[in-house]
Amino acid sequence: MRDVTDFDAIVVGSGMTGGWAAKELTELGLRTLVLEAGRPITPERDFVEHKPPWEMPFRGLGDARAVAARQSRQSNSVSFDEWSHVFWTDDVDNPYTTPADRPFHWFRARQVGGKSTIWGRQVYRWSDLDFEANLRDAVAIDWPIRYADIAPWYDHVERFMGVSGQAEGLPHLPDGPFLPPMAMNCVEQHVKERMRAHFGRDRMLTIGRVANLTVPHLGRAPCHYCGPCHRGCITRSYFSSVNATLPAAQATGRLTLRTFSVVRNLIHDPRKNRVTGVRMIDTVTKTERVYTARIVFLCASALESARILLNSGLANSSDQVGRNIMDHIKWGGASGEFEGWTERRVIGNRPNGIYVPRFRNVTSRHADFSRGYGFQGEAGRGGWRDGLRAPGIGSALKARLAQLGPWSMSFWGFGEMLPREMNRATLHPTLVDAWGIPTLHIACQWSENELAIHRDMNVTAAELLEAAGAKNIEPSTSGPSTPGGTNHEMGSARMGRDPKTSVLNGWNQSWDVPNVFVTDGAAMTSSGCQNPSLTYMALTARACHYAVEQMQRGDL
Amino acid sequence: MERRELIQWLVATAGLQTLDTLDASDLLALGRDVHRSGGTRALSPLAKSNVSVAAERILPGAAAAGVTPFIDKMLADWYAPAERRRFLAGLPELDAKSRARAGLDFLACGEADQIAVLTALDDEVTALRAARGSAANQHWFAMLKYLTVYGWCTSEAGMRALGLFPLPGRYDGCASV
Repeated sequence: MRDVTDFDAIVVGSGMTGGWAAKELTELGLRTLVLEAGRPITPERDFVEHKPPWEMPFRGLGDARAVAARQSRQSNSVSFDEWSHVFWTDDVDNPYTTPADRPFHWFRARQVGGKSTIWGRQVYRWSDLDFEANLRDAVAIDWPIRYADIAPWYDHVERFMGVSGQAEGLPHLPDGPFLPPMAMNCVEQHVKERMRAHFGRDRMLTIGRVANLTVPHLGRAPCHYCGPCHRGCITRSYFSSVNATLPAAQATGRLTLRTFSVVRNLIHDPRKNRVTGVRMIDTVTKTERVYTARIVFLCASALESARILLNSGLANSSDQVGRNIMDHIKWGGASGEFEGWTERRVIGNRPNGIYVPRFRNVTSRHADFSRGYGFQGEAGRGGWRDGLRAPGIGSALKARLAQLGPWSMSFWGFGEMLPREMNRATLHPTLVDAWGIPTLHIACQWSENELAIHRDMNVTAAELLEAAGAKNIEPSTSGPSTPGGTNHEMGSARMGRDPKTSVLNGWNQSWDVPNVFVTDGAAMTSSGCQNPSLTYMALTARACHYAVEQMQRGDL
Repeated sequence: MERRELIQWLVATAGLQTLDTLDASDLLALGRDVHRSGGTRALSPLAKSNVSVAAERILPGAAAAGVTPFIDKMLADWYAPAERRRFLAGLPELDAKSRARAGLDFLACGEADQIAVLTALDDEVTALRAARGSAANQHWFAMLKYLTVYGWCTSEAGMRALGLFPLPGRYDGCASV
């Protein structure tokens, strides 16, 4: 077969945003090459959500020695387990460094679909509370867009994804075209009612807005509540690149998906000030290849896209590439027990919890910190895992394992992080990955604002539980999460209004090199406290349409 | 060290890089030994029988649910060598306690004596837990019991008995118990 090397567009990465770029660009008529660093994924073979524990060598406890040798960093992700570990990178092949006193979790996925196979699927819109935040607080730089700019694109991506949720009419957490919401269990409904009685609309509880289908949607089947979405989904019930966008791109006949293709750098033509294409390494043959195109979309994940720009020595006249790394701070919250409902239980594994939208610094001003956080959580009854170390042997122990514990409910906060230039990834002076590409040194830490947010989570989560009548309320004893640990890293090639202080303009387009677009988390100017993937997706679709208009006008 | 002991030690400790130093007859014996023990790698035939019977007494149905090969797998491939050694060094306590109580090895004892021996060990771990918290998990019997419970709860028989398999294919957040 003839190896075509020239395309209309190249998309680097096939994950959450790469899948969207592939779909939009091909549907708009562009012959598009998607370069994926990892392996192909065949759902029927690679998705293992229905494989029971007894078919796993370690029954779900994981191959401790292999993990220690090759994935000690990736294994810190909450979605990493014996089934899903194959969806994370090998730490030895993909090294990075941090200062000794500033650990950073860089969770990475290299396979078709990227992290969209293992994501948490919680999707929340931003509002102008978020887009105006930097301007209002005089922090960093202003976003170049407002909610009105992105709202139609939220609609656009949500309609295709399928998002189940409950419309609540909150100005700071706008509703979308939701599919029917998932159900709350008895105790969650009780807590919702008690919170309403106590806090009114100020602190309210809604079912999680989640990219899992509750009804058939565009040929994909509704969720059947098996539970472990991070191991894949052969019924395509949750949104991912593999389940939704890449098949749509494939259907146009204009998609070329090349796997095992690690991009080293962009190739620049200084005469025209355009990139002409990318230089990549085939990880199977270990050979370099060059592909050319009129536009390049970097969708490699926030830090990888920054790394490609740094390794290219491009698009960085602002010196902002790699800076302003943000994540969401977590592990603050509380749990409590509820008396009653002993004759009630949950059947099925709902891949979703409840959400308490941000209530700090919305209509009033908190003395200790700016911005805020939302709570995710759920109620349930403990099962056999609570009896793993129970005393006794024989049939009494067996009966204990079959018993359901009391109902309990937990709230876990996800807090906004402020952008700060010093939180920065730079090219490592000597360390390279398995393909000889310079890797990153990441220096990132929480500021006092994030730590104050984290402390407040414990207080207010306990207040919610108390208002709901919980007993034995225990605030979280976990310290703050490690930066990067929420896997919401973003900000490393931010959008802005001024080429001197930002990498991208309001269309995710490089100020310096106009045919380069960056539409993953790197583009974020602030972090909000909402799970960010939805906004990356909306920005990607918006940028694709803009790029194609520019091409049609002859500007690109 | 007798050749047989050496081989058992090799198998139990995964000291297999030492294989390079063995001659062909040793390797042949090693192969036979591995198969004689029924495919277990960390557990000798005797240890395997002890684990199997103890597991069944800890959780009736555990042996048939395949807990013993799971425990062997965990000891061979999951635990650190020091943890495996602690388990294997502790296991003969079953015989010692059985002889002290009934004058017989654990396997030769009747069910009542076996249960009494295991209950005494469980009480020992419970007391240790009260005094030292999760450090009690390092006790060899705590390891055996944990592996038995975890192994059964993640076996097909166990998950069926606990109502966790097959999956219902739906969600009801307020179902009757």
